Amino acid sequence: MIRARVEGNVVSTVCHQTMKGWRLLICQPLDGDGKDSGQPVMAIDPQGAGVGSTIVITTDGKGVREFLGVDKTPIRNMILAIEDE
Amino acid sequence: MRFGKVIGKVTLSDSDPTYIGGRFLLVSPMDKARISGEDLPPVSGQPDVVVYDNVGGGLGDVIGFVEGGEASATFDKPTPVDAFNCALIDEITYQGRTHTL
Repeated sequence: MIRARVEGNVVSTVCHQTMKGWRLLICQPLDGDGKDSGQPVMAIDPQGAGVGSTIVITTDGKGVREFLGVDKTPIRNMILAIEDE
Repeated sequence: MRFGKVIGKVTLSDSDPTYIGGRFLLVSPMDKARISGEDLPPVSGQPDVVVYDNVGGGLGDVIGFVEGGEASATFDKPTPVDAFNCALIDEITYQGRTHTL
C-alpha cells in the first residue's frame, strides 16, 4: 500500500471487461515526506475520492481480486482509503 | 496501471503457443509532462516495454498497461507475459486540464 494524491481521472471505453464501470483516477505516489515520487499511475476508485485528496492505494492485485471477487482481472491499483487529515 | 504510448509493434517469428491471438506492442512509458498533454516526442526517457495486447492498441495510442503477476492473471493457461495492455485511453483530465486523444 502506498500513499498517493489524486491528480485527475481518465476515460477509457475500450478496456478489459473487469474494469468496465469503474472510475479510473490518476494517482501521484507520494514518499514519506509527502513529496511526489515516481510517475502517476491509474487506479480504480470504489471510494469516490475527489481530485486533490490524499489516498492510500494498493499495488498488489491479490487484494483487488478478492475485493472484486474475480480471479481473472489485470487490475492491481485500487483506492483503499481516503485520508481525513 | 501505468500510462504508455504505443511507438511500434513487435512481430515474433516463433513464439510460445499460448501467445496465439495476441499481438505485441512496443510501448514507451509516459511521464508527467506527456500525461498532461505537452507536445513532446512520443519516446520518453524511461526504458521501453513490450506489452502483450488483445485489446487492439495501435501506433500512437495511449494505453494503460499492467506489469508483474497481474499481467498474466487473465489467461486460462499459465502464460509467460509480464506486461499486459488492459485499456485504451480516450481522454485524460490531469491537473485541471482535459485533453482527448
